[in-house]
Amino acid sequence: MDKRESMWEYYLRKGMSRRSFLKGCVALTSIMGLSTDMVSKVVEAAEKKPLPVVVWIHGHECTGCDESFIRSGAPLASDLVLNEIALEYDHLLSAACGAPFEAHLEETIQKYKGQYILAVEGAVCTKDNGVYCMSGGHTFTHLLKHAASNALAIIAYGSCAAYGGIQAAKPNPTGSSGIGSFVGRSPIINVPGCPPIPEVMTGVIMHLALFNKVPSLDHDGRPKQFYGNRIHDTCYRRPFFDAGMFAEHFDDAGAKAGWCLYKLGCRGPETYNSCGNLRWFQGMSYPIQSGAPCIGCSSAHFWDEDPLTARMPDYGPFGNVDKIGAVAAAVTAVGVMAHGAMSIVQKNQRDKIEAKKHGEQVNK
Amino acid sequence: MKEVTRKIYYLFSPWLRIFHWIMVVCILTLFVTGLLITNPWFIFAVDPTYSGMMVDNIRNIHFLAAYIFSASFILRIYGFIVNPGDRLFSHVWKGYFYRNVVDVMLHYMFLKHEHASYLRNPLARCSYTFLYVLVFIEMLTGFAIYYMTNINGIGGILFGWVIPLLGGEYMAHLIHHYVAWGILLFAFGHVYMVIRAEFMEGESEVSSMFAGSKILAHEPRDAGHLDGTLK
Amino acid sequence: MRHVVVDPITRIEGHLRVEVQVDEGSGKVTDALSSGTAWRGLELIMKDRDPRDVWAYIQRICGVCTTAHALASVRAVEDALSIKIPKNANYIRNIMAATLTVQDHLVHFYHLHALDWVSPVDALAADPVATANLQTTILNAYRLPLKGPSSGLETEAYPHDFPAATPQYFAAVKDKVKAIVESGQLGIFAAQWWDHPDYKLLPPEVHLLAVAHYLEMLDKQRELVAPHVIFGGKNPHPHYVVGGMPCSISLDDGNAPINTARLDIVDRAINMGRTLVNFYYLPDLLAVGTAYVKAGRVDGGGLAKTRVLAYGAYPIEEYAGTSTKGGGGFFKNLLIRCNGVVENFGQGAANAKFTEITAEDLADPKVFTESVEHSWYNYPQNDNDEIHPWEGITEPKFTGPKEGTATEWQSLNERGKYSWLKTPKWKGKVCEVGPLARYIIIYTKAQKGLLPDMTWAEKMMLDQIAAVSNLLGLAPEAWLPTMVGRTAVRALDCQLHAEINKFFFDKLIANIRSGDTNVANMEMWNPKNWPKECQGVGIYEAPRGALSHWIDIKDGKTNNYQCVVPTTWNSCPRDSKAGYGAYELAMMDTHVQIPDKPLEIAKVIRSFDPCMACATHMYNAKGERITVITTDPYSGTRVEK
Repeated sequence: MDKRESMWEYYLRKGMSRRSFLKGCVALTSIMGLSTDMVSKVVEAAEKKPLPVVVWIHGHECTGCDESFIRSGAPLASDLVLNEIALEYDHLLSAACGAPFEAHLEETIQKYKGQYILAVEGAVCTKDNGVYCMSGGHTFTHLLKHAASNALAIIAYGSCAAYGGIQAAKPNPTGSSGIGSFVGRSPIINVPGCPPIPEVMTGVIMHLALFNKVPSLDHDGRPKQFYGNRIHDTCYRRPFFDAGMFAEHFDDAGAKAGWCLYKLGCRGPETYNSCGNLRWFQGMSYPIQSGAPCIGCSSAHFWDEDPLTARMPDYGPFGNVDKIGAVAAAVTAVGVMAHGAMSIVQKNQRDKIEAKKHGEQVNK
Repeated sequence: MKEVTRKIYYLFSPWLRIFHWIMVVCILTLFVTGLLITNPWFIFAVDPTYSGMMVDNIRNIHFLAAYIFSASFILRIYGFIVNPGDRLFSHVWKGYFYRNVVDVMLHYMFLKHEHASYLRNPLARCSYTFLYVLVFIEMLTGFAIYYMTNINGIGGILFGWVIPLLGGEYMAHLIHHYVAWGILLFAFGHVYMVIRAEFMEGESEVSSMFAGSKILAHEPRDAGHLDGTLK
Repeated sequence: MRHVVVDPITRIEGHLRVEVQVDEGSGKVTDALSSGTAWRGLELIMKDRDPRDVWAYIQRICGVCTTAHALASVRAVEDALSIKIPKNANYIRNIMAATLTVQDHLVHFYHLHALDWVSPVDALAADPVATANLQTTILNAYRLPLKGPSSGLETEAYPHDFPAATPQYFAAVKDKVKAIVESGQLGIFAAQWWDHPDYKLLPPEVHLLAVAHYLEMLDKQRELVAPHVIFGGKNPHPHYVVGGMPCSISLDDGNAPINTARLDIVDRAINMGRTLVNFYYLPDLLAVGTAYVKAGRVDGGGLAKTRVLAYGAYPIEEYAGTSTKGGGGFFKNLLIRCNGVVENFGQGAANAKFTEITAEDLADPKVFTESVEHSWYNYPQNDNDEIHPWEGITEPKFTGPKEGTATEWQSLNERGKYSWLKTPKWKGKVCEVGPLARYIIIYTKAQKGLLPDMTWAEKMMLDQIAAVSNLLGLAPEAWLPTMVGRTAVRALDCQLHAEINKFFFDKLIANIRSGDTNVANMEMWNPKNWPKECQGVGIYEAPRGALSHWIDIKDGKTNNYQCVVPTTWNSCPRDSKAGYGAYELAMMDTHVQIPDKPLEIAKVIRSFDPCMACATHMYNAKGERITVITTDPYSGTRVEK
């Protein structure tokens, strides 16, 4: 992002004249819908260093990630959107719509080629050439490919963009998946969650803005500072787990006292997220604190790891693993006994034959 | 009475034998504590659960057993280096291996009265390879889950790739749990087969894991494995 | 004649495309279509899931009206399993629902709709001193001092969130806007038709004031949803549990999900909601709306003039069942008895016709039906057959656009199929739903004397309508079914829901005080206690209107799941028998000044608060007939192949 240059610097680098730069500014003024008396201001601005440009596109999604983004308490969404970044394209907040908006997107991609940050919300649906997710008359696959190939870095916001999310759950009728394998390039910053915690969403952008680099990522492409801990390892109810104090049913004495929800299906022990340390709304709560077992919404395949209120051993593609194991052990025991009994019979027969042979030898 | 000449074959190094018995204790411990972690026990059958057996202690026992088990592999590796008898792995690339397997299987299916004599039964050799695979999966998934408490530590760096590869930690837990049952079933079969062999062939299977030697009446087909003559 | 396409429509949830034919001379819209352009198949994904989990999955239909689908879902499952939730759970759910409505309406006005009315560019011409004076004028002229019933529990000493009316404040906001415009990086303000004449309907000071409030509300809306975070653990997508709520109450435990300190956070958020709507949202909106009405802008009514529908809102106390099978208790216990349809309201309340919607209607195969004449689906006989959802067949038939290819559309085929939305009908007719529908129904019922023993909420709705009619100098019939009316009523609805929030919070406190801390009924938790097969329906008047979820449970698993969603009612494609959908009619009832810059079209569409992800039905991507949503509480469920 250090490479980010002003429009004037860009023209200089391209060896273009001041005259063509000014013409560009006039064109820009009209594109922005400003009156011509604003041209001098635009010229002035185009000579300055711009804010990091963010393009935010939507695939198969529910807009919950946008909503989470604007719930951020620090930084406030207003500060971020007005002071830290230039959010040039976003279906939720952008004023414009229709053809001028699509033209502005193309303009932005061209102008900031290789310099803008692409935020993707939602899964990419690829079945039947992606006709099930259309926007602006194009498939989302078309837009994603185009926008991703020219981006500096890509942020996959939410479990849908990172892993496919709800629409990719069985039987995945639209052939949806996370964007990683589709765009096939890095860096992709995975920010999973359904939705991610507001301050995690804004935090990733703030990290880019403050430190001018991609935050350090784990093996799954997630920022370590937000996804480095399991909820279970940071949960305020962890002492109850360690002590063996569990709610057995919703609203029982353990639930009222705020004991561990492990036995109600809590996915905290498998889920990497900041719910335990940052919590939601700046420390106000998170599902476990409100008595609801975690559903593991930042895990890759959590929708198909249901039922959500059961844990292992109940969970699994074949049913209760301990029951399966116990049955298998019983079957093995019976088999062993049967085999053992037959082996005794076999040994007796063999001994008889041996004895007969032995007798014949003795008789000789 | 028939006179039988028996020959002593020194097979198992002390290192392998120590490893074996550590493994027995550890697997039992790991299995029981693992089930308790999955579904914590409660002493007073009341609602909600208030466990006298603290989950934290159970987990620590589980981890301790896992560490001892893993550390004892060093003994196993040392034995592997110093003693040919510790190296009796399946020679799946050799034709005679399959002939021997068929020989043993026909006997176990009661189609033959006996199988030829072996230092180590070829089916058992296969099953131990299988066991090592299971144990390896358990160690990989177990340490991956265990070390992810600190992703920046050496354990996190070494094992951090495992969970994304499996598609999530829930899957890692599930695999860990299923494979644990697999190991238990192996143990069932193993104990039975050893006792059966002792009973059927009288070949000192049980004592060999204490003393290290097998006393065989017939020249075992794989005797050459000990001195390297059978390639 | 000009063909104008607006795609994507932004500042909504999901993917929406509209196309209109505009007569350039008169600015009249002669034809209009609206198309839902994406579909995710969530109902299909529900198949074979644990009914106790379905709320979590189906809630992901939409993150803007988050909670709405979860609530309808748990109600459907509880109806099917005959679960009566505890008092506290009913109050808490009502608080969460009302909280959603307050926050959603406020965000809709300031962040999704306001930039159709006000412009940051025009704000640059404003005088900060005059803007400060304007703020005072607005608060004097446009406040509606209406309140819910008092329980004597008023915890807010004075309005903590009060609009600043100082020139320095507005000068600072203006400087920031100026810096953004001059930077050339307009960000979220880029590429809008800021030179559209509509923006000149308001003086620059209104623009500056609205932009300031846009920013303030962007920062404050988050605090309004604190009740979701306390009761449900997070927002968007808070947690529920079938049988009640997961947030156990204990006044003796520091670690408890709900204790006094936690309730105080909820109380604070509720008071904040009341303050924000009374001192920001409602006065701002009435000031803008009055200017539009005075400029003669009373178009965009469309279907609201002929037919509106609502299911009824807020069970006051815990109830048994929604459908007749479950006892129909839901309809006997409503705070807002708007369950019904009003026809021909445009000709005056006296000439309008009211028809009640009852628990029996939900089960009647002739009352609620769907057609697919212009949807990308196929029916075996005629596509305009009216088939009840439980007899419904969803056989996809993607026919592509009129011009362009399947993946590159130029224009859609208004004569053929053009949307992934079906056309839902009530007795063969299309209806508009939403806050406007609720208010029209309550007003009409009151005029016809059909509201005996009026609840405080119904009374407040009538007072609101009277106050706004007085302000505008127009009869309710004249201003309600218009684009401005639709937007204004949303603010009234917001004020009402802020009071409903307080009402149920007071009830919750009173009930806890009486010693009842139960929040979940777990008697039917274990699937072993369930009937082999059962059906249920869950109803909720969501921020965008009438929402119903239908579930069929078989062998402890979800056999079929169906959602009939507000935006499907409003955004549906036309039908040769029933006519145009609500969006289409509203667009055709809208005057477009500049066909190249159809701001009026975007504005009238956004006056509905579209939520497209909610609206689209399921289909099978392979082009085969598929198993579909065919539930009915009476006649059982069929799986069509």
